[in-house]
Amino acid sequence: MQATVHPLSVRILQYEVPLAPKPLARAVVAEIRSMPLALQAWLGFLLAVIAVATIAALVSIPPGWEVFGTSPSFEWGLMIVGYVVFAIMTSGLCLSSSLGTVFGIERFRPFEKRHCVLAILSLTMAFLIIALDLHYPIRMVFGAVLVPSPSSPMWWMGVFYGTYLVILLVEVWSMFTPHPKIHMYSCAAAATVAIFAPMTLGAVFGVLGAKAYFNGIWTPITMVASAFLAGTALLGIVFYAVHRFKLADWQHAASIALPSVRVLLLAGFAVVAALLVRQVAVGLGSDIRGLREATTALVAGPLAPMFWLRVMGGLFIPVMLLLLPVHRRTEAIAAASFLALAGVALDRFVFVMAGQIAPISAGAGTVSYPFASYAPSMVEITIMGGAAAIMALGYTLAERYLDMGESDTHMFLPFPWIKKHDETDEGRTHHLAEPSEPKPAAAVVVGATLGEAAARTAPAAVVTQGVES
Amino acid sequence: MSEQQAPGGTAAEPRPTADAPADANLVPLAELAPAITAVSVSRRAFLGFGLAVAGGVAGAAALASFFPVFAEETQAASPIVPTYDPTGKQWAFVVDTSSCIGCGLCVAACKEENNIPEEPEYTRTWVERHTITTDGAMYVDSPDGGINGFPPESTAPGAAGKPVQDAYFMPRLCMQCTNSPCTAVCPVGATYKTEDGVILVDARRCIGCGYCVVACPYGARYLVPAGGRAPNDTPGVADKCTWCYHRITKGQQPACVEVCPVGARKFGDAADPNSEISKVIAEQQPQPYRPEYGTGPRVLYAGPVTQES
Repeated sequence: MQATVHPLSVRILQYEVPLAPKPLARAVVAEIRSMPLALQAWLGFLLAVIAVATIAALVSIPPGWEVFGTSPSFEWGLMIVGYVVFAIMTSGLCLSSSLGTVFGIERFRPFEKRHCVLAILSLTMAFLIIALDLHYPIRMVFGAVLVPSPSSPMWWMGVFYGTYLVILLVEVWSMFTPHPKIHMYSCAAAATVAIFAPMTLGAVFGVLGAKAYFNGIWTPITMVASAFLAGTALLGIVFYAVHRFKLADWQHAASIALPSVRVLLLAGFAVVAALLVRQVAVGLGSDIRGLREATTALVAGPLAPMFWLRVMGGLFIPVMLLLLPVHRRTEAIAAASFLALAGVALDRFVFVMAGQIAPISAGAGTVSYPFASYAPSMVEITIMGGAAAIMALGYTLAERYLDMGESDTHMFLPFPWIKKHDETDEGRTHHLAEPSEPKPAAAVVVGATLGEAAARTAPAAVVTQGVES
Repeated sequence: MSEQQAPGGTAAEPRPTADAPADANLVPLAELAPAITAVSVSRRAFLGFGLAVAGGVAGAAALASFFPVFAEETQAASPIVPTYDPTGKQWAFVVDTSSCIGCGLCVAACKEENNIPEEPEYTRTWVERHTITTDGAMYVDSPDGGINGFPPESTAPGAAGKPVQDAYFMPRLCMQCTNSPCTAVCPVGATYKTEDGVILVDARRCIGCGYCVVACPYGARYLVPAGGRAPNDTPGVADKCTWCYHRITKGQQPACVEVCPVGARKFGDAADPNSEISKVIAEQQPQPYRPEYGTGPRVLYAGPVTQES
């Protein structure tokens, strides 16, 4: 069947997208109609959330920053928490998947394409949130470039995360085009920056001598551990969706990807729990001004409900789900992943709150002694929801229109004991370049139009139209 | 091949022929073509890369022209008087907590002088009341920043009804630290230290991230809110006490010092041994407040607050 080529169109990957308004509208409508009802409802829900969040974002655009719940005694609120969560999630995605992409460990290779797309979306959301939080974001771009401040951890954080985004874009480009060698180096670079970036983000808090709870070398370490847990948890959620909805390479989701997620989650939980115990023990026993007050507020003060919810719901229950025999069910790993991600988000929230809750002065009567108070406004909450919805929308579209099946990964720093591709057991049939296993991924059809792609009846369906005449 | 000169060959050398190639190691040009093409592509890529970099720099410079403040070498956004010579100045600020009566005139004068927002939580200076009850507990309150004075009893939660053993007022302001965390953490260099040690904020460069506000251990900074009065008519940027830099560089006293009816605030050049501030420092031996933060605060306190643990 000859692919229809519109006179005014642009080729995006294997799709010929018309640019003229009417053909484009027709193609989009045809595409939407071809979607299953559940997918239509899901996209509709996401678009509705994004629409509401867009209004909230417009309200908060300078000089509308007064709509946030922050105050001079509590300057960092939910927007900073959101930035931190999305930023560290990006790093975590690369950290956990680097075991496959950089070190060539077979069982982690299914992460490759999906982690990369998720990482770009996540980092973009982090930048979007911080841009809305800053009062003069344009100045930041010029100021950071033209007046570098190497003494500021925030400046270094910008350097690393800015570099990170470029590397991730190269990684995705080289993966889908494909350029194997560039992809190999970009994977290694992304994994390296994935360590430095959350460490500098942790240093933003860690250098603050004014905030004893933030202060110290353990904050960057905790940030990296949280990043690893968050990224792995997101992979767990995504691969459960891949398994549940039979998306590209779904056969490997339950057999390889989710068990790998389980192993990584357990390792992440162990490290995060150890760091949490250390922080509470040291904080309660400390005589450093502000540290004991903050820790007390965390375990038995105004932050206690959220803290214990985080400990029980975000640590204890998911660990049990992963350790008990129920872990053999994919639903258990998915639930543990969801709880882990929610736990990290809550953990970063109470972290940012605890650091500022100990008042440093009577501050013009604004401090509700003995603890400072902050409650996020609806605008902040809505923007967070919008960021999550944009990410989910972007990823849903990526699953539908990109080939998200496994690709050739390139062992860069293989451990000596890792088997090479051709040495793997025959039972491990998920060889990345396995030609015998047809990929149920979205179309690989050069010249297919968006409207023709719409002929598919399910997200994972293979587009059958070819380019033959 | 016979028509082409081998790479590296010169006119004086015998031209190689098909029968007698000059050097077996020489590669026919036709076989070199792919490599030459690759080289030329690389060169083109290199030139393209160079052009892209040059274009990027030129573009950034063009865009930077829209923000000339970032292109300036100096940070003279402060109200520095051209004739002022900061060389050798050692500005010092001493607060005597045994003299302060908590009238709040200093707070009002500061707000008026610097166009500070009217809301009490946004202020460059404020007055705290430290109340020590007979059970040894200390309560700190600062209703409306002390701008309207203080009621007889402490407004701090838990202090009401408790018998008072001691109480004193403590004016607060930016400490102009020698090892200032606010200047260190600013990601765009908007907060900077002048030659005479006063820390200022360039309102044209500040991005309003709030990092300096969180970094200040003395709670002396805030982000200017929108919709009301704003220092330099610039909302959204960080603001703090400047020791009235626009006044002291003209030989005047800061507004709060000038208005204080009991002389609880003293300001001057400690480099001058005959100045009043030098005599106050020598006589009262004022101390920095909470030196354990390690920031080297330059506002010194005398009176009962120095006994505070």
